[in-house]
Formats: sequence, C-alpha cells, structure tokens
Amino acid sequence: MDKLLELLKDGHARTTFMLAKELHTTSDDIKRKLEYMENMGIIKRVAIDMPSCSGSCSGCVSYDSCTVPSDEKVNCPSCMPSQELLNMGEIWEVVK
Amino acid sequence: MSNKTTIALLGQPNAGKSTLFNALTGMNQHVGNWPGKTVEKKEGSFTHNKKEYAIADLPGSYSLTANSDEEVITRDFIASGNADVVCILADSSQLERSLFMLADYAGITVPCFLLLNMADIAKEKGKNIDVKALEDKLKIPVVLLSANNKKEYKSFYEALEKAVTNKTCLDSSRLEDAYSNLEGYNELKAMIPEGVISNYSSSWIASKALENDSVVLAKLENTMSADDYKKVDDIRNAVQGAVLTGGAKFAWIDEILSGAVDSKKENVSLGKLDRIYTHKFLGKPAVILTILLGLIMSFIPAIPIMGVGMAFGSLRVPVAEALTSIGAPDVIISLLCNVVIQSLAFICQMLGFVFGVTLIFGMLEEIGIMARVSYVFDNTMAKLGLQGKSVMPFLVSFGCTMGGTAGSRVIENWGQKVLTIALAWAVPCGAAWSVVPMLSTIFFGNGVFVVIVAILITMLLHMWITAKIFGRGLVNAENKYGMIMELPPYHKPKWGALFRYVLGRTKDTFLRVVTVVMLVCVVFWLLSYSFVEGSEPILFRIGTAIEPVTKFFGMSWELFMAFIASSVGKEGALGVIGALYNGQNFSGAFYEAMGGGGVAENLNELLAANVSKPQALAFIFAITFNMPCVVALASTYQEIHSAKWTAKIAIYYTVVALILAMIAYHVGLLIW
Ligand SMILES: Nc1nc2c(ncn2[C@@H]2O[C@H](COP(=O)(O)OP(=O)(O)OP(=O)(O)O)[C@@H](O)[C@H]2O)c(=O)[nH]1
Repeated sequence: MDKLLELLKDGHARTTFMLAKELHTTSDDIKRKLEYMENMGIIKRVAIDMPSCSGSCSGCVSYDSCTVPSDEKVNCPSCMPSQELLNMGEIWEVVK
Repeated sequence: MSNKTTIALLGQPNAGKSTLFNALTGMNQHVGNWPGKTVEKKEGSFTHNKKEYAIADLPGSYSLTANSDEEVITRDFIASGNADVVCILADSSQLERSLFMLADYAGITVPCFLLLNMADIAKEKGKNIDVKALEDKLKIPVVLLSANNKKEYKSFYEALEKAVTNKTCLDSSRLEDAYSNLEGYNELKAMIPEGVISNYSSSWIASKALENDSVVLAKLENTMSADDYKKVDDIRNAVQGAVLTGGAKFAWIDEILSGAVDSKKENVSLGKLDRIYTHKFLGKPAVILTILLGLIMSFIPAIPIMGVGMAFGSLRVPVAEALTSIGAPDVIISLLCNVVIQSLAFICQMLGFVFGVTLIFGMLEEIGIMARVSYVFDNTMAKLGLQGKSVMPFLVSFGCTMGGTAGSRVIENWGQKVLTIALAWAVPCGAAWSVVPMLSTIFFGNGVFVVIVAILITMLLHMWITAKIFGRGLVNAENKYGMIMELPPYHKPKWGALFRYVLGRTKDTFLRVVTVVMLVCVVFWLLSYSFVEGSEPILFRIGTAIEPVTKFFGMSWELFMAFIASSVGKEGALGVIGALYNGQNFSGAFYEAMGGGGVAENLNELLAANVSKPQALAFIFAITFNMPCVVALASTYQEIHSAKWTAKIAIYYTVVALILAMIAYHVGLLIW
C-alpha cells in the first residue's frame, strides 16, 4: 500500500485501472485500499457536485441559489440538477 | 440478565446487520440512543433452543479505528465485556473488501464468529466460498447465508451456539507476524503492557497506536510515564503507520481467502474509447476533437431556429410601413422596429444556440465524456501549476463563468484558486457560445466552423500564456498534488431530466437575455436618436471622436461600443448592434430612409454589408475573450476576497481581448 500512496503523491492523475496495472493487481484491490485510505483520512474525495450555474454569465434568475453551498441549495431550474445529471466519476486526492 | 447470552452485531454499513437483527428479534426490540451520543442504539432479545439471547446492533462503521462516534461506541461496548460473543458480518459477494472489519477485529479477545451475508449475490456472481477452509484458518465458526432469507438461519444458530460454548477466538497470529515486520511495531508492542484496555490485546493496541488512533494514544498517555509516551510518539511519527498496518491487513485477508474462495476471474480491460482517451499522445487531440464535434453538432438544431429569428426580423419593414400609413409618430415606429423587433429577432436567433450548446454539453457530461476530458487535462493542469481538480471549474465555465468561479471553491490553496479563476475567464461561457456562433453565421456563413476552431485554439493559447503571466506570483511548482480519478462507465443520458434541464435553462436564458438586450438596445437607441432635427446625436459625436482609436483594434466605433457592452454580458453586444446597425444612418437619415423606402429587407444582410469581414472577426474575438460579465466579476471578488487581484484580472482580460481583436483584424486583412 505504501507503493500505492507513492504513486498517488507524484502529481499525476491516474485511474484505478492504471494504478492496478502499475502495481500488478486488480482494480478491486485498488478500490478497497482507496476506501481504506479515505476512511483513515489519508486521501479525501473531491466534491464535484459544484454549482454549475445558468447558461449565460449574467447569473441565474435567483443568483443566490448558485452561490450558497450545495446542501442548502434550492436548485434553480436552469442550474445543472446536482444529483440527477452528473456522470463525472470520482476524484480523490492525497491529504497533505 | 446474567443467564442471557449477549450477542453484539458488528459490521460495516449495509452489511445487513439491521436485516439480521430484525429477523432475529421480531417485535422484541427497543430503540434508543447510546448514552451521551446521537447514535442510535438498538437492543432486542430472542429465544432459541430454550436459551435466551440478548442482542445489540452496534452502529455500522468502516473499521474500529476511532475516527467517529460510531467507532468509539462500538469499541467501548466490546471493551466493557457486555457482549459474550460478537457476530462479525461481511459481504460474501466482495470479501476482499468486506473482511476488513474482521481484520481490524483481530487481536480482540472477545469470542466471535463470522457471518458471510449476501450469499445469494455471491452465488449470482459465481463465487464459490469454502466455509470449512475459512473456519480452519480463522479458528472461529463461519456461516454463509442470506440475511433476508429466514429459512437459512439454522446454520446461524449452530454457529452461534458453537461460538458461545467453545468461546472461539479469532486466530490473529498470522496478522501479528505480519505486523512484526513493520517498522516500529515491535518496539511499540514491547512498551505496551497487557490489559491497558480490557479485552484488547497489546498487539491490537500497538497496531492502533501505529495508526495514530486518538483514543488509544490518549489512553497510553494516561497510563505511561511521560518518557515512555514520548518514545511512543516518536515511533508513530516516524512512519505512515496506517498505510503499513492497512497493507498488512489486506495482505492477511488475501491470504485467508486464497484457496477458500474461487471466483471467475473477471478480465477487466479498458474499452476501446477509453484506451484512446487515456492514451499518452492521442488523449488530448481525441478530447479536443470530441468537444469540437460536440459544438458543431450543437449548431445543427440551432441553424433552423436561426431562420425563424431572421424571418421575425424581416417583419420590421411591413410593420414600419403599416405604422407609417396610420400616421404613428416616428419615435414610436423607430422604437418598435429598431429596438423591440430587432432585439427579439436577435434573441430568437441566439436561442437555438443556447439550446444546442446546453444540450450537447449536458449530454457529454451525462454520457461520461466530460469526466474523460477532465482526466486528460489533469497533467496539463500540473504543468500550469494547478491541481487536477482545477479542470472541473474550467469545464463548468463552458456553461457559465460564474459557476466555474464558484466551483473553484474546492481548491484550498489561495494562489491556485486565483489562478484557476483567472484561467476560467478565458473559457468562453454559454452566452459566448451562443452569441458568437450566431454572429459568425451572419458574417461568415459556413465559415462559422473555422471560427469556432480558431476560438478554441486561441482559448488554449490564452490560458497557457495567462498561466505563465499570473502563475509566477501565485503558485510554486513544488506543490504536487496526487489525484485518482475513477472514470465512470459510459451510460445513456437520462433524456427526461436532460431535456427538462435544457428547456429550463433555455427559458431562463431567454428571460434574462430579453431584459439585457432590450435595456442596452433602448439606451443606445436613445443615445443615437436625434430628437432635434438636424442635430447630431450624442453617441454619434462620441463615436466619431473615438473612432481613430477603435480603428486601431480593427473595430468601428459602433462595434467598439458593442464590445464595451459585452463586458456587462455577452448578449449586451447584441443590444448595441441592434440599436446602431438598424438600416438607417444617424441623425436625419431616418427620415430619408422612411421617405425613400431604403430600408433593407434583411437585417443580417445589412449587417454583413456594413461590417467588413476582418472587422467582424476582430469584433468576434474581442467579445469572446472580453471579461465574461459583471456577475462573474462580482463572484470572482467574492471567491478570492481581493479587490486588487479582481481588478488585475479584469483589466488584463480587457487588454488581451483588444490585442486579440487587433491580431484577428490583421489576420482577416490577409485573408480577405
Ligand atoms: N440480496 C441480499 N440483500 C440483503 C441481504 N441482507 C441484507 N440485504 C439488503 O442489504 C441492505 C442493507 O441491509 P441492512 O440490514 O440495512 O444493513 P445494516 O448493516 O444494518 O446497515 P446500516 O444500518 O447502515 O449499518 C438492505 O437493503 C437489505 O435488504 C442478503 O442476504 N441478500
């Protein structure tokens, strides 16, 4: 697992598949180790549920709904529905 | 209580504890809170073979490290000796992962047995689990069942009874052997006396101390001399303990499972498309091509809608004639035809692009392409001194710069955040992607595609140069940030939700744009309308005065005013164009036009006739790379809390936009 952490720290993006290949193991093995490291606070998940605001830059009709944190957010109709339409995968990063 | 045997259920979230608990206890359960905590406490009882059992559902947690209330409660409960036997649940369909709780339990001396739940799913996945082999290795009873099928509970009761009568303890010797190869472990273990925490072996405590477990460390600090504790501190600080012990635990799990579980080895490999996207050299071109194709595809639904807008625009002449014939005042005619109809025509022409671009980008995201895009550009980000996750704000900025600005919140480092925002400004936003293609179509017809390619390339260059200029003061290159991206599988978009979103956004854009365009159009119309016959309107005088300067950037003064208006919002430029290029010359020309019937049928043609292609190109580049809009400016300030940097970025963008316009103009002169 220390090798895994080293790879994670070197500043390159990798998919779990690539990590598995480099470490001669399976994606599932990488995934469980990532899960462990996340739980231990060694790496953390990056929130990609970000306010993706209305089509043009003059802001939403209700400008506020896009700047308040997502958990308090009243989705304005023109904002990207945060849960419904996101297929961005997962991102983790090493906690410094 | 004393004649009852108490069972504690231990397992990770979703292991099936509640299902088992409910099935065993039926109505005999009681739900409360753990003392002093908001964590739910579930207790119940049942009778089997005339023996009474009390059962406690411990809170689900990933492990037994003191990272959360749940974990501490679980540990304290086990340490208290309240449980006679612990039933450890694991998901048999993914044992490599779910046996972690068992591995973390190793070293605890309370009798236990292992329940491999979700047998049905494991079977479905073609996993064959040799329960007997596992029992031999672990030295505890092991049951394989589906908790949601009560008929299978016979084996559960058998295992339970065996564990209780034999007081079966998990064999952790092999794990301890592995631990003893870890740096620091042996010294730690030697320093820790047995019984610091009852029911927890010193090897368990040593491993937790190595993992920086706060509760264990506090306990040690209380029981040890200050000198000894200092040594403990030094040992654990010298190593990445959690990584080491974690590795040992997973290796132990693999050893336990080897020979006991055979599953069809899934031969996973990257799909063809992903092999291209994640390719070292092909990745970037492939991704850029995909975005480009996406943009071009988004114009397909837009172009017919543009026709509708144009048709609407040609209503100008008949309406003007009709109004003249009923003797309406000229001011009204001009206002109605040159402001209202003109603006609406432009907006209609633009809406198609809003619809198309939103739809395509939403689709790319939904399918999973956007995730690949951000993946591919991660390493580029590192070269710019940014973190991989800065890609996300950039992608969002394709929709709206303000969203991108707000999205930069995920970046903790202030300098990187400022740089991310500064670069996000260079990404043409949704409004630019609708105003610009629309104007380009008017001026260049099919040449719009070339213009879009040129804009994308310019964008990349712009970002590169901007990063070099701003980067020096904001980020230092040593800050490397690792990142792992799990690319999502491709899937079909949820069309219903997608269309609802696209329509909502188009409608919203329409409403906002109508306000902005009309407002700007009215203001500029007023400024350019000569109320006193024969006098020159203010705007005309200002315009001709500044024209020598604006010509330098390849724009007529009218276009330059539109450029200024585009700082408010890209669509503002349309308002100005609508007001200033309306088929009449300024001052008295309006009357002549009405009298002489010299009003052009088609506004777009008129525009194309009045603006030379190099000028149009200069203008298009100027508004595309101008500062995005006032709201983006405000939200930038809000995010970076620095008026100085906000102003710097804004001024920089205005200057660069003008320089780009000048370059575009001269390139245009070479072409045409
Ligand atoms: N297919 C299948 N599903 C199961 C089985 N056991 C439990 N489940 C399902 O797994 C899910 C999680 O079960 P729970 O009993 O709520 O899990 P838990 O461990 O109590 O989870 P927490 O309350 O989060 O700690 C539920 O939807 C159950 O219906 C099983 O043997 N087979």
